[in-house]
Amino acid sequence: MEKSLFLNKHNLQPFLSGIAADYAVYVPVRKGKHRFFKKYTGTTDEVVIGEVRPFEPLKAFFSRAKEIVAKGFEDTIPHATDKPFAIVGVKACDLKGFKVQDFVFKDQGFKDPFYIKNREENLIIGADCTCAIDTCYCLALGVKPYPQEDFDINLSQIEEGFVVKVGSSKGEAVVKKNASLFEEASEGQLMEKENQRARVHLEVEENIKKNNVPSQELFGGIIERNYKSEIWADEAKTCVECGACNTICPTCHCFLLFDQRDEKQMARFRIWDSCMIKEFARVAGGANPRPKLWMRLRNRFEKKFDFFPKVSNVYACTGCGRCITACPAKIDIRKVLRRLVNNA
Amino acid sequence: MPSANIYRPIKTQVLDIFPETPNIKTLRLKPVEPIPFKTGQFIELTVPGVGEGPFTPSSRPSVADVIEVTIMKVGKVTAKIHELKPGDIVGLRGPFGQGYPLDEFKGREIVVIGGGCGFAPIRSLMYSFFDMSGQFKKIFFRGGCKTSKDFLYRNELEEWTKRSDLNVELTVDKGDSDWNHKVGVVPTILDSVDMDYAQGFAVVCGPPIMMKFTTKKLLEMGFKENNIFLSMEKNMSCGIGKCGHCRIGTYYGCKDGPVFRYDKIKNFPEIWD
Ligand code: SF4
Ligand code: SF4
Ligand code: FES
Repeated sequence: MEKSLFLNKHNLQPFLSGIAADYAVYVPVRKGKHRFFKKYTGTTDEVVIGEVRPFEPLKAFFSRAKEIVAKGFEDTIPHATDKPFAIVGVKACDLKGFKVQDFVFKDQGFKDPFYIKNREENLIIGADCTCAIDTCYCLALGVKPYPQEDFDINLSQIEEGFVVKVGSSKGEAVVKKNASLFEEASEGQLMEKENQRARVHLEVEENIKKNNVPSQELFGGIIERNYKSEIWADEAKTCVECGACNTICPTCHCFLLFDQRDEKQMARFRIWDSCMIKEFARVAGGANPRPKLWMRLRNRFEKKFDFFPKVSNVYACTGCGRCITACPAKIDIRKVLRRLVNNA
Repeated sequence: MPSANIYRPIKTQVLDIFPETPNIKTLRLKPVEPIPFKTGQFIELTVPGVGEGPFTPSSRPSVADVIEVTIMKVGKVTAKIHELKPGDIVGLRGPFGQGYPLDEFKGREIVVIGGGCGFAPIRSLMYSFFDMSGQFKKIFFRGGCKTSKDFLYRNELEEWTKRSDLNVELTVDKGDSDWNHKVGVVPTILDSVDMDYAQGFAVVCGPPIMMKFTTKKLLEMGFKENNIFLSMEKNMSCGIGKCGHCRIGTYYGCKDGPVFRYDKIKNFPEIWD
């Protein structure tokens, strides 16, 4: 069995500073109730490696909310010349987002050069969740509250520091470069990590029980079965069509190509788009297959729980709970799923 | 050479512009790199500084260096396209999507049915048939529009009626003095298509409502569901199955279409909306 490493908490700062030589390092910082990714400034004072996922989704480091994708007719890849990102403290629910984003931009059909470049160059330092918040329900989607794949390095926070697992050759190189900061993890430290994982697992289980969230084993056919149901209109009643549920979601990938209004300097932007917005599917001639809000809410669920499982064998939800917090209309995906599952 | 950057358009010169009807024009375009396309595939046309829109070429696929698109003025981008002059520079991306399976059509009887602006892609298909003349058992063409003024390529269509390798009938919803063909909706001119329906192919392109009733009629006549080809118009942005705009059930109109066999999509809700 490969050795596990240990990073003393006093070595976190030198480790991150070491990485910062080659990467633009982003760390989760706590502000009020939420955590946000902030550019690492050389201090680890406010950095929270553990706890739960930050407010904003990881996808923003792989396709920006607004980015330039073409300049004039040049066959070049316009790209910020900055260093690649190192994103620290990435939680398992965000990593599951790659199952969807990779399928769309990297693994199927035309290859997206922007996404692929970021995917190849960015460094992902994952972290175990050390607690759960009320909206967490990752286990219902088959995601454990600690990273198991798709990271370069993973940190499991324990009392004295972090148990470190290397997940890729890119991660290996980074650890090697900073080798003096690491030591071999002790039996006791490994035990502490396992105990903590079990404890958080239990916390999420209790969450799911308390909020009565159905498990993905029950999702088969829920969209087809409920296509004509009243549930959609009922749930969409309060929706204000803000699109927050889409932008905040680690799996939502839809975008719009948008040309700068300047005929001299042609520039094409890619901006995140939202299927909840009325114009999303409207054709130039004016016809709209989804004129009503409830049809668009249904479409959002159809894409997540019918389309993606059929085309890529994955539910396009990670159980991160972000859309529950973000929705000004208090539309709760857990409740919608429960209603769909129960409406046999 | 496919571009590494799937979002950048290829520089293209507008060679010529022909008005077809008061709100439809055909543009002849010359991209600096040839864009070989299969009939039925589409391209994205950029007006610099304005935006991009998807169009199915209406020209001969065997000619790759010059592409013709026939465009109705319906929105912001198409309004700008209508203001273009010969010599202007635009951009093209593509070709995208799936074309018609011409090889499968060989040796068979085919009816091609067009309505309204749906004639544009169908003209390209008919050119392919003419280029491969003799390789098909029989080709029928049925076209319909609201009035005689709405017909695209009217002169060409009149020429087609004289071809010995083609059986043509045209109809308008409302006749006038300028019209010497049939009067009635498209399904009414299908009965005269004399072929073995169960073995034949049908290609339909037109407004959703026309496709809906035509498909119904074709099924009643005995065409097989997987032998009916429909052109689905969807909101498109990227053209390459990434942006999510054009989803139809488990497919994307841009990537898996825009031409679909009816049996592939018939169980999806919303297909005619
Ligand atoms: S749908 Fe909601 S809970 Fe699921 S991944 Fe997206 S934001 Fe998270
Ligand atoms: S976040 Fe809530 S209110 Fe906003 S579009 Fe989504 S469901 Fe509607
Ligand atoms: S146009 Fe973007 S997915 Fe089809």
